[in-house]
Amino acid sequence: MSVINFDFRNEVLKHNASLSYCYQCSTCSGGCPVALLTEGMYNPRMIIEEAILGLQDKLVDQQIPNVWLCSTCQKCVELCPQRVELTEIFTLIKNRCFEESEVPPAFISQGKAIVDNGVAIPYSNSILSRRSKLGLPQVKTAPMEEIKQLLKETNFEYHITRRGE
Amino acid sequence: MDYDIFLGCVIPARLPFLEASSRKVFETLGIKLNDVDGFSCCPDPTGIELIDHKTWLTLGARNLSLSKNGNGGIISFCSGCVETLKGVNYSLNKDPSLLEEVNEHLSKIGKNYDGKTGVKHFTQVLYENLDKVKEKVVKPLTGFKVAVHYGCHYLRPSEFIQWDDPFNPYTIDEIVNAIGAESIDYENKIECCGNPVDKSDGDLSLLMIENKLKAIQNAGANCVALVCPACYQQFDFNQRELSKKEGVDFQIPVFYLSELVALAFGHKQENLGLNFHRVRPKGLLESLNFSN
Repeated sequence: MSVINFDFRNEVLKHNASLSYCYQCSTCSGGCPVALLTEGMYNPRMIIEEAILGLQDKLVDQQIPNVWLCSTCQKCVELCPQRVELTEIFTLIKNRCFEESEVPPAFISQGKAIVDNGVAIPYSNSILSRRSKLGLPQVKTAPMEEIKQLLKETNFEYHITRRGE
Repeated sequence: MDYDIFLGCVIPARLPFLEASSRKVFETLGIKLNDVDGFSCCPDPTGIELIDHKTWLTLGARNLSLSKNGNGGIISFCSGCVETLKGVNYSLNKDPSLLEEVNEHLSKIGKNYDGKTGVKHFTQVLYENLDKVKEKVVKPLTGFKVAVHYGCHYLRPSEFIQWDDPFNPYTIDEIVNAIGAESIDYENKIECCGNPVDKSDGDLSLLMIENKLKAIQNAGANCVALVCPACYQQFDFNQRELSKKEGVDFQIPVFYLSELVALAFGHKQENLGLNFHRVRPKGLLESLNFSN
């Protein structure tokens, strides 16, 4: 039994008001490469329906359908006759998962790399020597004190490190 | 016109040979690219953005604020970085309160972003200089039957990518044809390679790339050309995965567009690092008289 959560619905609408334009025609799911290959287990139309109804428990807690299967190909956004910005709405749902529910571990590892290095992939010694063999310049990436400060400001560091514990 | 290069993470720290060919192409064209110190991850529009939109906007705005010298703004060799930097610009310009919030964060590190830095994909700059590209061809790529893979973020969302056509793209095909190769049409040309799904479902991601490679093989192409490092890894690295797991061995060489252009400009293969490709292009290149 799902619980309608008006606060959640209003939060989505505040983040992206295009949600209210959806009339459930399913053009998004028809053009979705992941819906096609999962026999509808992943279904963008249904995610939007649940968002309209404010079903936070389905979307964030149980993740049915699993919003993380979106490939971010943005076809649904282009195809939507009502110009609903589906992937923007999915982003809000995923952000809520990050704050209070489950997230696939690969996202957390990437987040940790940013917290530790400011870049998603640190420069290994073998890459540095490959770069010099290819005649490429040394890369000076962001000063870590600046990145740390910003990640504190946005609370990102807190959410990443609390998961690492 | 000169540009500030935004390298991102995947190309310089994992696939530096793609950077080598890209730099050489612009050198030959006489388009100056400035190196800028202090960039962080863009951040990843298929990673960080999805877990924390505000962090994505803030680090993105910090990066954009660092471009000062290039009068053409930022150029990037990566479709993901372009998507992020254009997307951050779009969001911050659409909603002034967001720009204000982000600048509040940036002020803590003594920075400010005015929302005005221009961003271009390197492919766009090549297309805008197509006549010059044609002039510089010394070795036309005769016999290259190229399956062009556009990738998603080079094209969409068109609302803020504002380049080419989201469903009937043409720019890369025209560049490929301009350097003497032949672009081959195939069934699922505008579909996603599946790379971003790998973070949540590896099998699904592999199925997506297998479907693309099958269509490319059926169309009779002898190589792939693409313009995104995430797509590159999906196409090049995962052919071995598919052979191990599914027993299908495609052996279709995968080129970055800059590598094909560099070959047509007469750059030597060893300077391009083509030996770092997992699917070795050597056999194809030799069969087309491109051994040096």
